[in-house]
Amino acid sequence: MRGADYVIKRGFFALVTVFVAITINFFLFRVLPGTAVTDLSRVPHASPQLKHALTVEFGLDKPKWEQYLIYLKNLLHGNMGISFAYQQPVSHLLIQDLKNTLPMVTVGTVAAIAVGVVTGVLSAWRRGSVPDHVSTNAAIFAYAFPTQWLGLMLLIIFAGTLPAGGMSNPFLFGAEPFWQHLADVGQHMILPAATLMLTAYGSYTLVVRSSMLETLGEDYVLTARAKGLPPRRVVRRHAFRNALLPVVTLVALDLGYIVGGALLIEVIFSWPGIGLAMYDAIGQRDYPMLQGGFLILTVAVIVLNFAADLLYFRLDPRIRE
Amino acid sequence: MSLLEVSGLHVWFEPPHAAEVHAVQGVSFALDPGERFGLVGESGCGKTTTILALMGLLPPNASVAGEVLINGQNILAGGEDSVQAYRWKDVAMVFQGAMNALNPVKKVGWQIAEPMAFHDIAQGAAARKRAGELLELVGIPAAAGERYPHEFSGGMRQRAAIAMALACEPKILLADEPTTALDVMVQAQILELLTGLSRNLGLALVLVTHDLPVVAQVCERAAVMYAGEIVEAGPTEMLYHAPRHPYTRLLFAATPDLYGQDAVISIPGTPPRLDSELPGCPFRARCDVPLERCAGEHPELRLVGPGHQAACHRNELVEAS
Amino acid sequence: MTLPLQDPLLSAEGQGQPSSPRRGFLRTVLRERKAAVVGLAIIAFFVVLSIVAPYIAPHSVTEPSCAVYAPPSASHWLGCDDGGIDMLSLLMVGGRISMIVGFAATLVAMIIGGGVGILSGYFGGWTDISLMRVTDYLLVIPDLVLMIVIADLWGASLFHVIIVIGILEWTSTARIIRAQVMSVRERAYVKRARGMGSGNFRIVWRHILPQVGPLLIANTVLTIAIAIYLETALAFLGLEDPTAVTWGTILEHAFERTAISSGAWWAIVPAGFAIAAVIVGCFLFGQAVEDALNPRLKVAHLSLRPWRLRPLVGRGPDAL
Repeated sequence: MRGADYVIKRGFFALVTVFVAITINFFLFRVLPGTAVTDLSRVPHASPQLKHALTVEFGLDKPKWEQYLIYLKNLLHGNMGISFAYQQPVSHLLIQDLKNTLPMVTVGTVAAIAVGVVTGVLSAWRRGSVPDHVSTNAAIFAYAFPTQWLGLMLLIIFAGTLPAGGMSNPFLFGAEPFWQHLADVGQHMILPAATLMLTAYGSYTLVVRSSMLETLGEDYVLTARAKGLPPRRVVRRHAFRNALLPVVTLVALDLGYIVGGALLIEVIFSWPGIGLAMYDAIGQRDYPMLQGGFLILTVAVIVLNFAADLLYFRLDPRIRE
Repeated sequence: MSLLEVSGLHVWFEPPHAAEVHAVQGVSFALDPGERFGLVGESGCGKTTTILALMGLLPPNASVAGEVLINGQNILAGGEDSVQAYRWKDVAMVFQGAMNALNPVKKVGWQIAEPMAFHDIAQGAAARKRAGELLELVGIPAAAGERYPHEFSGGMRQRAAIAMALACEPKILLADEPTTALDVMVQAQILELLTGLSRNLGLALVLVTHDLPVVAQVCERAAVMYAGEIVEAGPTEMLYHAPRHPYTRLLFAATPDLYGQDAVISIPGTPPRLDSELPGCPFRARCDVPLERCAGEHPELRLVGPGHQAACHRNELVEAS
Repeated sequence: MTLPLQDPLLSAEGQGQPSSPRRGFLRTVLRERKAAVVGLAIIAFFVVLSIVAPYIAPHSVTEPSCAVYAPPSASHWLGCDDGGIDMLSLLMVGGRISMIVGFAATLVAMIIGGGVGILSGYFGGWTDISLMRVTDYLLVIPDLVLMIVIADLWGASLFHVIIVIGILEWTSTARIIRAQVMSVRERAYVKRARGMGSGNFRIVWRHILPQVGPLLIANTVLTIAIAIYLETALAFLGLEDPTAVTWGTILEHAFERTAISSGAWWAIVPAGFAIAAVIVGCFLFGQAVEDALNPRLKVAHLSLRPWRLRPLVGRGPDAL
């Protein structure tokens, strides 16, 4: 298959980056001096048997390089230790948290991309006009306001009308029909997702606009125009697809920003996701949770980056050579 | 009535932060069906702008005056919107450097078929079949239509661009430097192709180039442009062997001999700026035989032989004597 | 984290390489682009404000001078926080520290990025490949998350925040410097200098660094914006010294101490505007300089307003 080597190369890169992240994690939590306090076996109120079991499981009494290999093996089995604060396996807790984070982040990011693309294309089309200036400056400002401030502002404005925190109404019991739960969660998701949309869309607007302007200057756009095609059609059929290619790259690079933003948002809205879990872990000195959270978030971003590489591969036939 | 008649064409550009540039200054010429006409000059003399203006393919900071008549109809009369109707059906263009004139993410066959579908000449499978036939006509196997532009060599891309230009059976083909950036063997083939198409299909051809041997090979008539104006026009033979304008004479003399036997004479100096109106002959500063009146009086195009015009004060001396 | 178009690879794609700037380039940019002037003015304003803040702050930032969450009034234009401390003074002094943190973190990033870029660009080969790989990995790994982990392990302090931001935000600088070093390295005068025995350091200092000026300034300014943003994020998550007064801790305190339910919007709103103002200023200036260095050479072939027709005046084609 043509271009298979591109896919393999990017896949290999993703794998290596995962290793780098794991190694950084190991280094920070196990190798640095003063990490005795982060030792995985120091679960508070743990029985001596548990402590011993953990010590054996993670090889905490062995030399560092051996610990590293054992760590890798454990990770492969999804074993990230026991949470200091909740006395439960870290992976179970974090997977549950991740399930809460994903819908909110997905909705917010997709909304941001949609708004960004639409405003970017319109701005490029009407370059230099008042709507262009307004839209561009709005994008800059939205991007410049700190994510947490945007969240707080939305809270202030909508505190009465929309749920101010949590993912669901604690008073809704399990007996309620599923769609009602869905509606409830959906309602709670509005503000956090809206905050994520507001904080992320600005960069997309600017890049789409710039990329579209660049594309509109390409020779093949002039060719399309020369064919007698009306402007709308030229944009839709020829310019759009080409203009979006750099955007795919940018969205992928920006995932770190999305993750950071989601973290802050979960804290503000008490959204029970992985971000809030990490925040709590800081406060509770729950180091296994902190490690696990970092690893899961990082791997998620790496995987998404790889997915973006694949998407780019699909969209741009030139890469396939 | 000629097939194509350009009358008093002027084009101005308004660059940002700079004075207006008068890029084309009163160009007029006419073309009959099946005629091959060359437009020659140095870079920046306005020849590309002229033919772009013939199809209204100008940027927003341009303004145009004059008429472009196709079968008696002034296609520029209604601005961009009205000229759209004539594009590709009556007059089509092959751009400089077809490398970028083809959309990189669309298959070549699709790009050829697209205007057919839009202008209701053929749809779907019929259009694809016709695209294949056009590719064969220009010397490319029909199956290549399933490939992307980056898979074609430079010469093939140029041929594909020509095939694409013929998609809606235009009566006039404009070719802007069709052989620049191609190697010599391929150049010859492309020129042969263009000549053949003109003869067999009765296609009128306007060939823009700075390469004089090209004009000599393909075109029966030609016009020499300098600083936005036509300074001499007539049968190519006459321009070559009996030029009546110093610029034409120097230009043809400056062409390196294919066998490298004659010395290369280059014309010292540079063309004048086009952002201010200068009195007198635009070529005066570089002319080797200027007269006194050349400094203050602008020479007009006058007949100096059958079908042969030149804009030089010296011709009056010849007439007088 | 990258600001849009901050990655020189993304913005240089298809627009040609950055041109070598001439002297007085920045003056030209300021003259031709309003955005650059506005941006620079905003940055200058805040820099000056930072310097004079301790002297012109109307009230103390340590001693209460009004009631808890007192609303804005004549004596306290922006009201007070939950400790009865004047918000306006907090903002001024906080701005000072935020700016210092931003500049300092950027300095760290510049040093690391510059070093990496020079080594990578000058020596090429394996040095270059391995260093660029490292930057690639760091780019993918989410920076705020890693910063949180490091800052938490290290301890909450302003100094740690500065270092933590600095060690993760140098990649764009490295790329820029590397590109410039590589393009200059091959030039004749460098080869000549080397031939004459100039040491590597001298070559870098005398010949390479001056070329890279404006692009580096743009990159610095944009990095400052990112650093300020990240400072507020880290402070918000409790990873900064809580007794420090920065814009970040102002927002954090407001959140922690229920400013919203107390209706004390003044504890939140102005801080956000101040942060946004600085970041916008940095962005406008940095972006304007970058745009001027990578001029968009192509005119859009499509736009809302097409070319115009001019009526033919006078007789004959040359009458105009």
